[in-house]
Amino acid sequence: MQTQEDLEPTVRIRELKKDRVNFVLGNVDLAFANSLRRVVMADIPTVAIDMVEIEVNTTVLPDEFIAHRLGMVPLNSSNCEEAIKYTRDCTCLAGCSYCSLMLVLNVACHDDNTMDVTSDHLDLVPFPTDPEQQNPEPGEELTQRGELFGQPVGKHEPGVPPVLICKIRKGQELKMKCTAKKGIAKEHAKWSPCSAVSFEYDPHNKLRHTTHWYEKSIKEEWPLSDNALEEEPPREDEAFDFNAKPNKFYFEVETDGSLDPQEVVMRAPVKQTAPAAPAATSGGVSIMGAASKTASKRPCEEAGSTSSDDSLAKRLEPALRRVK
Amino acid sequence: MVEDEDNEWGQLNLTNWKGLSATDPIKSVEDKWLLLPAFLKVKGLVKQHIDSFNYFVDVDIKNIVKANNKVTSDVDPRFWLKYTDINVGFPDRNEESSVDKKVTPNECRLRDTTYSAPIIVTIQYTRGKNIVQRNVNIGRLPIMLRSCKCVLTGRSEEQLARMIECPLDPGGYFVVKGTEKVILVQEQLSKNRIIVETDSAKGVVQASCTSSTHGGLKSKTYVATKKGKIYLRHNSIHEDIPIVIALKALGIQSDKEILLLTAGNTDAYKTAFSANLEDAAKLGVFTRHQALEYIGSRVKVNRRVMGPRRPAWEEALEALATIVLAHVPVKGLDFRSKAIFVATMTRRVLMAIDDEHMVDDRDYVGNKRLELAGQLLALLFEDLFKTYNSNLKNAIDKVLKKPSRTSEFDAFNTMRMQGDHLTSGFVRAISTGNWSLKRFKMERAGVTHVLSRLSFISALGMMTRISSQFEKTRKVSGPRALQPSQWGVLCPSDTPEGEACGLVKNLALMTHITTDVEEEPIIRLAFMLGVEDISLTTGTEIYGPHTFVVNVNGTIIGLTRYPTRFVAQFRKLRRARRFSEFVSIYINHHHRAVHIASDGGRICRPAIIVENGRSRVTSEHIQQLKKGTMTFDDFLKKGLVEYLDVNEENDTYIALYENDIVLTTTHLEIEPFTLLGAVAGLIPYPHHNQSPRNTYQCAMGKQAIGAIAYNQLNRIDTLLYLSVYPQQPMVKTKTIELVGYDKLPAGQNATVAVMSYSGFDRLADAPLDENGQISKKYDIIQLDGLAGVGERVDPGDVYVNKQTPSNAADNTFTGQAASVPYKNTPLTYKSPVSGNIDKVMISDTENDQTIVKVLIRQTRRPELGDKFSSRHGQKGVCGLIVNQEDMPFNDQGINPGN
Ligand SMILES: [Zn+2]
Repeated sequence: MQTQEDLEPTVRIRELKKDRVNFVLGNVDLAFANSLRRVVMADIPTVAIDMVEIEVNTTVLPDEFIAHRLGMVPLNSSNCEEAIKYTRDCTCLAGCSYCSLMLVLNVACHDDNTMDVTSDHLDLVPFPTDPEQQNPEPGEELTQRGELFGQPVGKHEPGVPPVLICKIRKGQELKMKCTAKKGIAKEHAKWSPCSAVSFEYDPHNKLRHTTHWYEKSIKEEWPLSDNALEEEPPREDEAFDFNAKPNKFYFEVETDGSLDPQEVVMRAPVKQTAPAAPAATSGGVSIMGAASKTASKRPCEEAGSTSSDDSLAKRLEPALRRVK
Repeated sequence: MVEDEDNEWGQLNLTNWKGLSATDPIKSVEDKWLLLPAFLKVKGLVKQHIDSFNYFVDVDIKNIVKANNKVTSDVDPRFWLKYTDINVGFPDRNEESSVDKKVTPNECRLRDTTYSAPIIVTIQYTRGKNIVQRNVNIGRLPIMLRSCKCVLTGRSEEQLARMIECPLDPGGYFVVKGTEKVILVQEQLSKNRIIVETDSAKGVVQASCTSSTHGGLKSKTYVATKKGKIYLRHNSIHEDIPIVIALKALGIQSDKEILLLTAGNTDAYKTAFSANLEDAAKLGVFTRHQALEYIGSRVKVNRRVMGPRRPAWEEALEALATIVLAHVPVKGLDFRSKAIFVATMTRRVLMAIDDEHMVDDRDYVGNKRLELAGQLLALLFEDLFKTYNSNLKNAIDKVLKKPSRTSEFDAFNTMRMQGDHLTSGFVRAISTGNWSLKRFKMERAGVTHVLSRLSFISALGMMTRISSQFEKTRKVSGPRALQPSQWGVLCPSDTPEGEACGLVKNLALMTHITTDVEEEPIIRLAFMLGVEDISLTTGTEIYGPHTFVVNVNGTIIGLTRYPTRFVAQFRKLRRARRFSEFVSIYINHHHRAVHIASDGGRICRPAIIVENGRSRVTSEHIQQLKKGTMTFDDFLKKGLVEYLDVNEENDTYIALYENDIVLTTTHLEIEPFTLLGAVAGLIPYPHHNQSPRNTYQCAMGKQAIGAIAYNQLNRIDTLLYLSVYPQQPMVKTKTIELVGYDKLPAGQNATVAVMSYSGFDRLADAPLDENGQISKKYDIIQLDGLAGVGERVDPGDVYVNKQTPSNAADNTFTGQAASVPYKNTPLTYKSPVSGNIDKVMISDTENDQTIVKVLIRQTRRPELGDKFSSRHGQKGVCGLIVNQEDMPFNDQGINPGN
């Protein structure tokens, strides 16, 4: 009899939309599948506004409040891995075009009506270069960027409502420079490309990993999920197999638009094996020239990622590429 | 009624209110709870404070001036000055140079000034041979916000916004020197009423009565047993006076009449009393004169005026007429009603000796009176006004004493020189909270408190708070226990834990506290309804069968043989609004008495009248209420709803719900949840909680961080909290909407996932302070010496670069301003967490002192050790903050937290 390890891992995509992918992962063990879920949520780098220099803020909201809201605006981060460096890895002193993006927001209301300041008002501008500071090793990053890289997601796209930042009335003004940086969600959730990741296995609870509490009848009180159609229901007289292991994992990954769902999932196995990026204890947006957070490096403590998964990841990659 | 009430209540006039349309079918009187918003529309949430203050500035202040309206001179007998009227104006800016005199409370808060209005008196006085009439400003009175003298009253939400004021702010407090001060409601035992108590350990039975007249004089009279005999005791008499001697001195000479007035025809009482008659005979007191001589030799004589020594009986007569039981009127030495009062006290003692259940409960809410801002200010004003007048008199005497004057004497000029005795007196009392009025033997500290602006609810909760006069250290449970008579008027849940438990209470949602109503018309009305005058009766009639004594505010005025009919007629007239709706009447069958009360400080609440088993309020009325064609006042006028005080509640049979109504039912509750206060009303489903949880929640709900007021961002307070994303609760109570908690919420709707986790309960260690001296840094200071708005302040940063003259104590004038030495006294930022300059304000105070206020803002995230709680008294300390990927999730990938 063949063991699980001997089989090729499989990926079967059930649905792929602009912002979501639904797939079934097979022939991997539970720890691996779970680590994929966790990596998708917390280890895929994106760009997000990390520092805000406020010039004018005459709105009703305090500076910190607006800075926090700006940080949460999803920015297009396609090919983030190659297209931008982490500032901490960059040789520049205080940000350069290789590791930072500049967005400006300059809105004033001259109208009698209340005006909405939204992510559509955020304009991407070339990062101002300091002529005195020569970047000793110019990288390939700039050529790797797509046309929309760093733009707020869905800017001027019909049918995509922009993100509301603040409401202003006549005479109020908001003027600020925002620096976006690359980061991962372990440092702050704003860098997460996902909005929701669902994960299920063993819909019939054959493995008895959970106990369903019920009043009269389990069947009536615990409706089966749609994923139950994928698996054989247990027979009445079926004996409990305590050696059985989960084999099929049902994923749905929904992104916030900063990355395409396939990119999120494709990047994940690479991240699973690579040493994880440092995690910091606090995140958020620093403002008014506050020093950027210096995060301490620490080794990956990702649960479920054992060395044997290394080969699994390599085997999973072609499977993912195939379906693309 | 003002046209533009705030918009919330304006909604009442719309066809659709809170999803209920006027055309909706109405099942029984289903939406009768709408009477509550209608009530609050008229009265507001802190009506008790505002009503009391309004009564003071409109009525009471005039009475006080009337009682002290003349200033004469010892030097010139022809001179006199008379106050003919007094009026309190509207608040204005008390600065000579200001062009715009209009002032708003918010300006006072920011500029550290007092929100006050001028007190203008109209005087008539002699100037030479003429009589002159003039208006004079004698001082300034701090004005209660939202009172009838406040500029905010009756303004629309938009007008209030222009004045930088929050429409949801309840008012009822003062702004004195920039701080918001509340005069808490004080609970006291009722005045001018007889309270009978027993001390079983000492075997003493005593009836006591605290007399309080409008002059402010207070004294307590006891009729108590001592070694089986009854005595009258009073502070102004050295010794206890045997009761028979006291009664004889009051003009009841015959032993037979004394016996009839005290013991009546009850044999048990007669036996108990007989020893007292023997006692008087043994002491050789038989006539009134002998009794007066006996008392006179024991009266403490106040020798103020030098004069001939008066005979003892005269001293006794004066003491009995003016000091003992001062509230019972003695007209032209007619002591009859006072004698009957003392006899009644004696009879109550006899009754309690015979039956130990015939004692009063001093914790019963009906025996309590609440003292409010208006009463305390009235006392303060009377004291200050009397001092002002005596100062004025001295000043006038001083001028008149001068033998030769250059110009004709004009008292107006002397008055203007009087300074700000009243103004400073009010400001001092309210800002320190010390009411020390020697004249009225009043020495109270902690009367006022700074309004807690921790959250909107904490401010609101403070306005409904009642503090007790009982000392906190006393280990008696009686005053702390929940009284059944608190039902509907005092919140059963909202009380602190610990030493003040049960002593500090809170008003329920529909509670109203009465103000004084004139009693003469009420007495006249009682006589017209067939009450026999007490001075025409003797003991035989008073205690005869079927006779009931009629009392008005504790004083016996007469008898009636048909108490039920009398009370019914009296109520009928009240329901027709022939007199104030706050006058109460009830029958006490134990004492065979009818009590009418019109005094202030009684706690009452409205209830729907039920007649013949049917609620007087019908669906049609509620429909009209919804349409806006009827107001709460109309319900009172039409006799559909009436106010019941705690004593009158005893005469009623109140149904909780409409289907509980039986034939004997007299009233119907407007809505059961009004028995809770404003703070307890915020708890959803409180009837499913264990009762102490509601009490815990009442204490904790006030600490919740949210938004405190619409004008929050324009305030510069010592400490201000603002939650970045406050949410209105998804599960609301009616009270939440009525107090506006959904508009100024505190807290968020949280997902609660209960699961086991290898969590640990440990508080984060306190961060260590930096050691060593922090050097002062001036880099955020701008040219004006103040930190720039938006600058970051770190510990040790200077944000106001102030200099003060180094010889501030030295007042010698050198002539040269430049040579004055200055020393640096900068203000440095002390907090260990850095902040940002949010606002800088430069202004000046009333006496042209420059004032600089700097508001520094700190942003805080929830961290380990922060306290969180639900709305049910369930609090906890945050022990772990979990990353999103470590959180549990549901089938759609949704976590708690997103
Ligand atoms: Zn760089």
